[in-house]
Amino acid sequence: MEETYLELYLDQCSAQDALTPSRSPLLSPAVPYDVDMLTSSNPETAFNPQLEEVTEASGSFSAVDLSFLPDELSQENKDQTVIRSKHEVEENCKTQSRQIRLPLPSQLDAGLALNSSSGSGSHSHLHPADGNSAQPSPEKPHSMPLASITPMTPMAPISECSGIVPQLQNIVSTVNLACKLDLKKIALHAKNAEYNPKRFAAVIMRIREPRTTALIFSSGKMVCTGAKSEEQSRLAARKYARVVQKLGFPARFLDFTIQNMVASCDVRFPISLEGLVLTHQQFSSYEPELFPGLIYRMVKPRIVLLIFVSGKVVLTGAKKRSDIYEAFENIYPILKGFKKA
Amino acid sequence: MNNTAASPMSAASSSGRSTGKSVSFTAELQSMMFSLGDARRPLHETAVLVEDVVHTQLINLLQQAAEVSQLRGARVISAEDLLFLMRKDKKKLRRLLKYMFFRDYKSKIVKGIDEDDLLEDKLSGSNNVNKRQKIAQDFLNSIDQTGELLAMFEDDEIDEVKQERMERAERQTRVMDSAQYAEFCESRHLSFSKKGSKFRDWLDCGSMEIKPNVIAMEILAYLAYETVAQLVDLALLVRQDMVTKAGDPFSHAISATFIQYHNSAESTAACGVEAHSDAIQPSHIREAIRRYGHKIGPLSPFTSAYRRNGMAFLAC
Repeated sequence: MEETYLELYLDQCSAQDALTPSRSPLLSPAVPYDVDMLTSSNPETAFNPQLEEVTEASGSFSAVDLSFLPDELSQENKDQTVIRSKHEVEENCKTQSRQIRLPLPSQLDAGLALNSSSGSGSHSHLHPADGNSAQPSPEKPHSMPLASITPMTPMAPISECSGIVPQLQNIVSTVNLACKLDLKKIALHAKNAEYNPKRFAAVIMRIREPRTTALIFSSGKMVCTGAKSEEQSRLAARKYARVVQKLGFPARFLDFTIQNMVASCDVRFPISLEGLVLTHQQFSSYEPELFPGLIYRMVKPRIVLLIFVSGKVVLTGAKKRSDIYEAFENIYPILKGFKKA
Repeated sequence: MNNTAASPMSAASSSGRSTGKSVSFTAELQSMMFSLGDARRPLHETAVLVEDVVHTQLINLLQQAAEVSQLRGARVISAEDLLFLMRKDKKKLRRLLKYMFFRDYKSKIVKGIDEDDLLEDKLSGSNNVNKRQKIAQDFLNSIDQTGELLAMFEDDEIDEVKQERMERAERQTRVMDSAQYAEFCESRHLSFSKKGSKFRDWLDCGSMEIKPNVIAMEILAYLAYETVAQLVDLALLVRQDMVTKAGDPFSHAISATFIQYHNSAESTAACGVEAHSDAIQPSHIREAIRRYGHKIGPLSPFTSAYRRNGMAFLAC
């Protein structure tokens, strides 16, 4: 499914203006705090009562009822990105706790118009997906409403595209639960939690699905690491928040931000690092006695790449998935130039 | 100044620290020299000689660092003492600082990649970010009278020695196929810092009164590697000079890197008998040390505190 992301991204770059209304607008407003990618919708799961599925799917917390979280994903949708609005989350939590908003994992449409509307205004756009069930295959790219907001760097034409998609390996995100926490109480009552105040002033909690680790601080701030995609990171953070909530704290879910994304891929040919460090001196550092990889600091986008002789490339420092893809597409022709015969 | 002066030193050091000599880095040194520009199979005698030189120099450096440490009343030899010893040579000091910053930067990046590393770092408690950089900056701040040391932090000039080494490496690898290149890369990964305990034993740190701490050991490993690199650089230069080219008045002016390339092309064209001339000979090393220590100038016999050891330090 990863290939569709790259396709969509590249298409978006070449077709920045069209707003194709090919699908019925379903999603609530897009102030896309975490992801700015279109996704293909998965019509079969689109209208499932997702919440029940979520509760079943959540591994060790089978009793966790996430119904208060309206924009939850089911397991099948984990590959798809979802656009969320934090306002929506906030408001829904408070006002419409039982009302099921279906923020279907379908793409944004004419999002610019929706962007300006507030959370309540967006709800009028939700209507049952009559057209959706007869959806064609999710190949059709959709316009990126953000295209006009975020300036895109000029991309290489698709014909020169590498055909390799970096796979996300780790996402680090933070969220503010906005209430003071009693770490001892959390550690005593929660499963899979460790707390050693002499070593470190936070509770370390782990869940199995999505397989992640969270550091929960007494101030209410939380760091979530180990997820393999943005929505998994968000889902995991939600689960942790739910655990804390169940223990009696008035936990909220504020300012969820992706802090770092790490991806890796393989260009499948050996690379001459000596040549690369010589020609790209101002960007690269290579000290083989210290670290076997060359550290390449790309300026635009601001990503750090670790390039190894074997052809493996690790990209880190990204806040958005598109940065990773862009960085890789930038480096690929350079690496081809230093291919070791 | 040459090896004859050094050998009573090494004999003395070996008798005084006999345990140090049982540990040998000869095999690693051979690989290291290959990665720094020597032939594919450096000579064993050369490696033994290089090991001797590096060992002696490091022991002396450690002794001086211990003295400095005692002067300021510290209980361990730390990075500050070594930085103090290096204060005279700006270029080498700058290279060391760049190395330390790179180490910080690398651990910062690697930490962000693996979530386990992130946890480890948080759990270790102390504020580890840019630790070495802070130490270096604080110390240089304290000893800097004229401001030139602190100016080094902003200095962005190209390090010519490093540049030459990079070019030499690139030239060396250009003709390799991927199997040879893989081997070359493996030998480039070798360093003294990876073999921490063996390195400590080699220097016989156990028998010292004042021992170096972790960062000081890192710096010492780096200085050992730098010494080897310097020796190889100089030996290659000497070797180039030794080859007389008939009728070429500018043979001395052409850079070492160019001639070396030329040489290896010639010697590989000749059959394998010549193969050994590719490798650095012990005589090259000795001549390099002699030339390095031979300061030309009116006051040269009287300058440099390092003279009393009979051998000028290559690394600082």
